[in-house]
Amino acid sequence: MDFTELFEKYPYLREATTAFVVIFADICALMILIAAARERRRGDRLWAREGRGYMLASGATFYPLGAAEILIGRHPAADIRFDDNEISRFHALLTLSNGQWTIEDIGAQNGIFVNGRRVTQPRILHQNDLIQIGRRRLTVVRGTGKGVA
Amino acid sequence: MSGSRTGPVSHPFLLLLVLIAHTAMLVLVMMSFGINVEVFKLACIVLMFDFIGAIALQFVAQEACTVDTVLMLVLGMSTIYQSCFGGLEFAWKHFVFGIAAFFGCQISYVLVRNPYRAEKLKPLWYILFFILVGMIFFLTGTRGIWIDLGFITIQPSEFVKPVFVLICASSIRTQLRKKELWGIHFVPDNLMLLFCTALIAGLQWYSRDLGSLPTFAAAAGCALLLRFSYLREKISVRLMLCMGVGVVFVCIMAWKLAPSYVQDRLHVDIWSDMSGSGYQQVKALTAIAEGGWFGKGAGNGTLVSVAASRTDIIFSTICEEWGLFTAIMTVVLVLFLPASILTVPPRSYYHSGLAICVSAMFVMQMTLNIFGSCNLIPFTGVTIPFISQGGSSMLASGIMAGFLKAAQAPVLTGRSAAQLQRGGGR
Amino acid sequence: MARRRQAPQPGPQQPRIIQVPPLDVSAPRSMRRAGRGTVLLLLAFVLALVYLVYVLVTRSAFYMAKSGQTGYGKIVDRSGDVLFDGTQPMTNYEKGHFADVGNLIGDTTGQMSNTVAAKNIELLANYSFLYGKNSGTVTLKTTISHKATRACYNALGKKNGTVTAYNWKTGEMLVCMSKPCVDTALGYDNLDKMPEGSLLCKAFSPMVPGSTQKVSTLIAAYEQNGIDSVNAVEFSCEGSWVNATGGKINCHKKKGHGRQTLNEAFANSCNPYFAQLVQSRMMPLSAIIETYTNMGYSVNGAKADALTMDKLVIPAASTTLTNKDEFETQWGCLGQGKTLVSPYQLMLWQGAVANSTGVAVQPYILASHTDIENRVTVLGTTQKTKRFFSQEAAKGVHEVMTDNAQKHYNVSLGKYTCGVKSGTAQVEENGKSYENSLLTGFCMDEDCPVAFCVVIEERVSTDMSTAQLTKVLLDALRKEGISAKKTAQ
Repeated sequence: MDFTELFEKYPYLREATTAFVVIFADICALMILIAAARERRRGDRLWAREGRGYMLASGATFYPLGAAEILIGRHPAADIRFDDNEISRFHALLTLSNGQWTIEDIGAQNGIFVNGRRVTQPRILHQNDLIQIGRRRLTVVRGTGKGVA
Repeated sequence: MSGSRTGPVSHPFLLLLVLIAHTAMLVLVMMSFGINVEVFKLACIVLMFDFIGAIALQFVAQEACTVDTVLMLVLGMSTIYQSCFGGLEFAWKHFVFGIAAFFGCQISYVLVRNPYRAEKLKPLWYILFFILVGMIFFLTGTRGIWIDLGFITIQPSEFVKPVFVLICASSIRTQLRKKELWGIHFVPDNLMLLFCTALIAGLQWYSRDLGSLPTFAAAAGCALLLRFSYLREKISVRLMLCMGVGVVFVCIMAWKLAPSYVQDRLHVDIWSDMSGSGYQQVKALTAIAEGGWFGKGAGNGTLVSVAASRTDIIFSTICEEWGLFTAIMTVVLVLFLPASILTVPPRSYYHSGLAICVSAMFVMQMTLNIFGSCNLIPFTGVTIPFISQGGSSMLASGIMAGFLKAAQAPVLTGRSAAQLQRGGGR
Repeated sequence: MARRRQAPQPGPQQPRIIQVPPLDVSAPRSMRRAGRGTVLLLLAFVLALVYLVYVLVTRSAFYMAKSGQTGYGKIVDRSGDVLFDGTQPMTNYEKGHFADVGNLIGDTTGQMSNTVAAKNIELLANYSFLYGKNSGTVTLKTTISHKATRACYNALGKKNGTVTAYNWKTGEMLVCMSKPCVDTALGYDNLDKMPEGSLLCKAFSPMVPGSTQKVSTLIAAYEQNGIDSVNAVEFSCEGSWVNATGGKINCHKKKGHGRQTLNEAFANSCNPYFAQLVQSRMMPLSAIIETYTNMGYSVNGAKADALTMDKLVIPAASTTLTNKDEFETQWGCLGQGKTLVSPYQLMLWQGAVANSTGVAVQPYILASHTDIENRVTVLGTTQKTKRFFSQEAAKGVHEVMTDNAQKHYNVSLGKYTCGVKSGTAQVEENGKSYENSLLTGFCMDEDCPVAFCVVIEERVSTDMSTAQLTKVLLDALRKEGISAKKTAQ
């Protein structure tokens, strides 16, 4: 079967068909991206499962733990920042590993206390643990919602 | 269509779309060549690849399907392109390397899925880096960039790219590990990165191939920018200005000090030397003009007779046969790979470093290739990831796509409290 | 600061029991920077792609035309007469049809670079990005009057010369003829047999301007001293004059003109008068240089921008002025020696004199473009140039030139209201010395608003005069009906 004759007979048929097919393929590609955007919610759920849905609470303020490493300190770049002179610029580092959050001292002058004990070595955090950093008290809480195991 | 809540929700649907897109392209091929055995062969192989790929991916637990889907779409498309240039002949080599790139993606995904482990292996990446650089330095003969193994030629400079990206990425913990020498505080990792960048630059200078230097520079620049901004609240206007002035200064110095063969490239007026140094670009631009929006039809191009029509000026070759519209779409499709990390953001600093460096490399390579062949910037021999012919480039790009996939589905194990205690927190 | 959420009423007595909000898993701010960086990167690339598409689509006709991958359309004159035809062999036209416009219009062979066809080759390509190549015929309409060009070409007879003229009100280029001229229909096979300069439109080449340069010198005098004081100056001419440094300036009239006013000296084109004017206190060297520089001269090798007309390039005029007491400088101000001006530029200045403002209307040669889909784009528009000299100087020169024409060219120019300045350029070339005759000026008639410059090379007294040639030009242009602006279609 040969299309050459057909295309010669009808000018612009080839261009029109090409345009149609290319636009069709384009729409498919676009739909792939739209469908992929739905992965975001799934990614959040996966993270919630991975991170046990833990958040930190200080009074009425809640801090999400959205990355594998969370820096706490007075430095402007810290993920959780307290503008408090008793808190070092780089004070504590929260790390997620094996589904457990650990806290460690990364050069805090006044130390970190979990449930009243000073943290000298990385320590695993559990729900309702009370972290004391300077005068600040942070409670490990668990967010509610779908995907939290 | 929907599995469990956290399972691969849209994967079969996405792969169906890939099948449809490929079928649409094959219809165009059929319109050009009629229905014959070669067309049938091409259609069968491409669609089978999609089908088998889809089934295989269903069996492997999938956390990130966007990268796989886009990769399959792009690889199939480029196989169709490469098979049709100037006449129908199935591009076996390209296809095989495409599959290899796909597997390379999966392997590197598994390897760097765990950011802690990937970073712990950094000494290994350094060793690999120095081995590859040494190979380029000692083995590539008379300042060429290929190593001829008889049955196959490999391009170590392509494989340096993924290794360099692994070196570029860094985590907060590494950035906090400061050392002091003569009263100056510094982060050894950053120093190492600068050293590696300088080494690459020197090597490129030595091998008289400065074409891919911007690619490495872009990755290193993004990595350094990211490292700076870890420890800064925001990048201030003053810092931006300083860096801008610095970049301009470096560019001017490079411009002034560039060796003569680079200077020639920078000043070439292709229209006054249409049969000499401007030949490829003149042909490429004319081919784009001849192709118009919808191209001459698959296999009807004449650009295949020009050197590097399947690599350096592939954008024009696609334009000529398939039209500017399709060519732009293809480029945008490749962009979907780095764009995929916008839907599922990375969750660790090491992964985000990987992602942005890979994005920078992909974008830079495409910029150099497309804008270079269209005479908007100096023409260099750089490939478009996944589209250009060339096994080394294909494999290296596949490995880098694996990094993007890993960033979307991290596994955070191995840094247990016990290990941390042994390693020490400080 | 990290994202915060307000929890509903935490009990103050029981700080450990907290009402837990919905889970927030958003990545920390510092982490989102990487994402933002990627967005910026991709955005920049996509914007660059859009720009690339724009460049490719708009420049594609140029690519096609330049690489010879497509057919070419036609160039026509202001009334539709064909000046170049890419659709059929040009030998199909009557013999010599293109013989008078060959070196201006040119063709697509690439033999000549500074021609209408070569400089605007993308407008000649039978091509559009959507419809592809050879899907129609394009037409490039110029403002040239082929009839007037032909009339001047024929009037020159065996002589060589240049005629350039434009409408100083609208800017339409009407005649731009340079003889000898290549016949583009015949090709370039006998290139070495062609007379020298056949491939060059000499209207765009700087040449010795002769006494037409006195217009520039007079402008400098007016700008420095004002009209009245310059017009009152009298110098005498004894046939020759020795300047302050001992240089001897000869007059073309050996007996001398005697004592004369500016108007008389201008009409007589008296060299000693103008040399004395240059040497006098009225004209500081810096003032002359300033006026010349503003007019577009490259003085003493200083950089001066080349003139352009629809991409055609016309090199800037040049002269050397070092010491106004010395022969060389005075000779330069009289239009001899090292001074070089193109007829085009002489014509352009006359445009600025004709409207008495010192600002000319920019000449253009491309009127309109009809693409392969028969869409017409008007290309030529009336625009002003930069200021060449002051309005006062323009008015003064206008008066002097009109006076000159009325008194001395009444017969030869007939009924036209003109202002003119003649010139005789002494050229020494390849050991041969000869004189070119120039006439530059303007016509003020409503139906013929033309600024012009005509050159007859190696003219001897028995030949046709430049004024007669000018009359041929003006007659032909008036017959063509140039006052009605007809650019589009």
